[in-house]
Amino acid sequence: MDFTFSPEHIALRRMIREFAENEVAPIAAEIDRDHQVPMETMRKLGQVGLLGVCFPQEYGGMGAGEMGYCILMEEINRVCTSTGTNVGAHIGIGAMAIYLDGNDEQKRRYLIPLARGEQFAAFGLTESGAGSDAAAIRTRAVREGDSWILDGGKVFITNGGYADVVTVMAVTDPALGARGGITAFIVETDWEGFKVAREEDKMGIRGTSTAELVFEELRVPHENVLGKVGEGFVTFMKSLDMGRLTLGAACIGGAEMALESAVRWAKTRRQFGAELASKQAIQWKIADIATELEALRSLVYRVAWLVDTGQPFSQLAAMCKLYGSEVASRAIDIALQIHGGLGFSRDFPLERGFRDARIGEIYEGTSEVQRIVIASNIFREHGVRIRP
Amino acid sequence: MRIIVILGRVLDPSGIVVKGSAGRIFVNREEYLIQPADACALEAALRIKDGMAAEVVALPRSPLPDDDILRQAIARGADRAIYLTGPALKAADEAAMTGVLTAAIERLGGADLVLIGSTTLDTGQGQLGLRLAEALGGAQITGAWQVSSADGQVQAVLQRNGRYVAVEADPPVVVTLLPGARKLRYPDGVRLINVYRGVGEVGDALEAWDAADLVDEAALTPLVESRGKEFAPERERGVRASGTPAEMAQAAADALRQRMRR
Amino acid sequence: MDFTFSEEQEMFRAMFRDFSAKEIAPQAEELDHEEKPALGALRKAAQQGFLGATLPEEYFGAELDYTSYAMLIETLAADSVSTAVTLATHVSLVAMSILNHGTPEQREEWLPLLAAGEVIGAFALTEPDAGSDVQAVATRATPDGDQVTLDGVKTWVANGEIAGLFLVFAQGAEGMDAYLVPQDTPGLTVGYREPTLGLRSATFNTLYLEGCRVSEANRLGQPGEGGSIAQQAQDRMAVALAAAGLGVSENAIQVAAQYATERVQFGVPIAQKQAIQGYIAEAKIEVEALRYLVYHAAWLVDQRGDYGFDASVVKAFGARVARSVTNRMVQVMGGYGYMEDYPMARKYRDARALHIIGGPTELHDFQIAQRIFADLDMDIAP
Repeated sequence: MDFTFSPEHIALRRMIREFAENEVAPIAAEIDRDHQVPMETMRKLGQVGLLGVCFPQEYGGMGAGEMGYCILMEEINRVCTSTGTNVGAHIGIGAMAIYLDGNDEQKRRYLIPLARGEQFAAFGLTESGAGSDAAAIRTRAVREGDSWILDGGKVFITNGGYADVVTVMAVTDPALGARGGITAFIVETDWEGFKVAREEDKMGIRGTSTAELVFEELRVPHENVLGKVGEGFVTFMKSLDMGRLTLGAACIGGAEMALESAVRWAKTRRQFGAELASKQAIQWKIADIATELEALRSLVYRVAWLVDTGQPFSQLAAMCKLYGSEVASRAIDIALQIHGGLGFSRDFPLERGFRDARIGEIYEGTSEVQRIVIASNIFREHGVRIRP
Repeated sequence: MRIIVILGRVLDPSGIVVKGSAGRIFVNREEYLIQPADACALEAALRIKDGMAAEVVALPRSPLPDDDILRQAIARGADRAIYLTGPALKAADEAAMTGVLTAAIERLGGADLVLIGSTTLDTGQGQLGLRLAEALGGAQITGAWQVSSADGQVQAVLQRNGRYVAVEADPPVVVTLLPGARKLRYPDGVRLINVYRGVGEVGDALEAWDAADLVDEAALTPLVESRGKEFAPERERGVRASGTPAEMAQAAADALRQRMRR
Repeated sequence: MDFTFSEEQEMFRAMFRDFSAKEIAPQAEELDHEEKPALGALRKAAQQGFLGATLPEEYFGAELDYTSYAMLIETLAADSVSTAVTLATHVSLVAMSILNHGTPEQREEWLPLLAAGEVIGAFALTEPDAGSDVQAVATRATPDGDQVTLDGVKTWVANGEIAGLFLVFAQGAEGMDAYLVPQDTPGLTVGYREPTLGLRSATFNTLYLEGCRVSEANRLGQPGEGGSIAQQAQDRMAVALAAAGLGVSENAIQVAAQYATERVQFGVPIAQKQAIQGYIAEAKIEVEALRYLVYHAAWLVDQRGDYGFDASVVKAFGARVARSVTNRMVQVMGGYGYMEDYPMARKYRDARALHIIGGPTELHDFQIAQRIFADLDMDIAP
């Protein structure tokens, strides 16, 4: 077993770290405070090729695989969860769906500009009645000649407010339900009938757009069906699987940010005549974060390797997301506590990290959904079928 | 136009801690950067290339244990890089390197412009650019903020006595760039992945040349022999004052008065 | 042991609930988002006697026992932890310090004003280098005839922005002293207001004391008694903060449980899912344990003995429960638990404060351990 990163991945990480420290870290506080998407930074990421990190070079990407994408997510989230979330929704689920199930024409038309950061993507699945129960979506798509007419809406769509392309899941056959009744569509956001209805006011990741989308007689050409009609459920499950892995990678970054802050403060701050680092309560907490972080790191990069070598990874990806989000939450909570009052102040970045981390256990499949997936997979191997 | 860029590497200073009291340097994180001034030279070369037809070739400033910074240069836009290797090169100092680099440049077909950083971050060395200029027989422009090329000539901007001075020279020219002159651009993602994998357009961009093929071994003997390193001797410590600002000011004044009496 | 509340206490609880529903709940969200203190509500609270909750009638207080007062804090915190903390600072930290340690003249001068809400009290102990380590207080009280000059900087002064009276702790000749400093005293400047993660409708300011002169008669208690006054104040506040933790936790469970009955996924309300049931049940267990711990501690306050140990226990536990319960209830509400136009996100941010204000939990852990080892004749150091 070779646990080293390849030279190109080591070089990639250094490039991203340089970019993250120079371009992303300086804006992190501001985009949170002003509730702004970092469009300029997103464009710069595109210019150096990072928004196509995992896509093949023939489709405008860098060809660095899931390994490269996990490295990107780790390094960006280490300095700014909001920017990381914009990137993750764009690459990891929005463009990813097109990469996984698009035909060559669709990849040339959509994936290339997305990989180059010339356009931005979002993933349109969640609805007000379909959160954890994603199969309960009701947005309807009805065939009309060589088009489909979409009616309905989506909520909590990351990047929804500015995406150029959204991969939308709609019901094409209500009678069939999830198996055979859902289809994925590539929708261009400047088409007639597509509207961004509102932006959510979130506790954290305030440098992101979380939008409500409304479709009113939105006409989508048949050639924009992604994958096969009726097989949308499969498309979105595959995209979510990939997304779960990379969210785990993002959480490595978040936990690292927390650990580094905690260590820096513990070695600087003096109370009762000694540095906090000399206190066992602090040492124990830091040791615990560091241990969990290493366990997460090993898990995530192992799963990235599984993806890049074409092996099954779905079960482990769910574990990455579940464990990662909980590790990151614990880590930032400890880092905040170590900073005392300063951790509670908005003049320091801990509380932003704290607010940002909390969404980890909720979006892209709550921890409850991940547990259902993991348990179902285990029991399926023993012949027992679990329904959520 | 062929532009040669000379690149050296240095330990990332943010990964080391210098403890004078212990007489040691602690390397907590061993990572290497391109010498900051050399990075400016590379960026200057790439900017010229942005505006005209040019070939940018990177060469090492000193013997390197690996070719990483040369691959970095290619990822950032250099067309080629030559990794100089060979056991004879190991102890080469600036004088020896001048010989090797001059021979390498000749083998490349000569250079119109050679760009190099004016000083190194760790050793504060600035002679290589000057030696190269002498060896190549061309003009030398030292400590430039900016360099460009137009109408077959090389232009540079220097700072002299608080003023900016523009100079011009005919190729071949060696220009040394000040650290901080330019921020080196980010690598291009695709070039980065491909140069480390050795595939694609940049698959052949990096070549390794044995120094022994370029010059005689005698030419590689260093002029200077390094006999060791040590910290400066302990010097008399100062007075540490504490208390309220008024008390500290008083203690400092008293100490100064004491010193003046000696 | 009689674990029932008296009829009077039950009446109070109903009254507190009515008041909170009418005066606190409707604006809690807006005041938090706009980071404005609930001055209007405080005025109304004063009319009800709440600002002099535990003060004797002779000072126009409501003469509530500490248990009833804890109930008040708990009830207010269910709607706004910010308001509860603001009130508790005023009553437990400032007013009761004057009540317990003030001369008759000091009590006459200040308690009626505090009870009427004409003057709000603020507590100035913490400094940039003196957080947990109270001994490290560097603000100085320099005698000057029958006056005292105060010099130093205080941070995280709760109620700083709205206070008319500051209880300031400074090092005098014989140890730490406590001084009553009116807001308009020359040399006292209320500075920067901390922008915070939670409790955004409460105010925490930096206070500058530069040649701030007060009469020696403004000293509370004896010279060198400041440390003891501060400790007792913080012990009272610990119980109040735990009551706030109780209030916000109980309310969080109610809100989330209601949501669980309405939110349908996978064909049924999520209340039908065992995992959700487990979250709610575990949270409730914690809240019930906290409830009796809080009321027991509040009862101890009224017994006027030494309840420092119990104060630390209840504060540490209250912070833990509030954090754990609000965190779980955010999870029950999913995405809606993260949106600021639903109440849970604010409760989550507010609850997090309890591990820090009123002394970080690590400090309380130490104080608890200190007592245990002291009983075994061993002195432990922080």
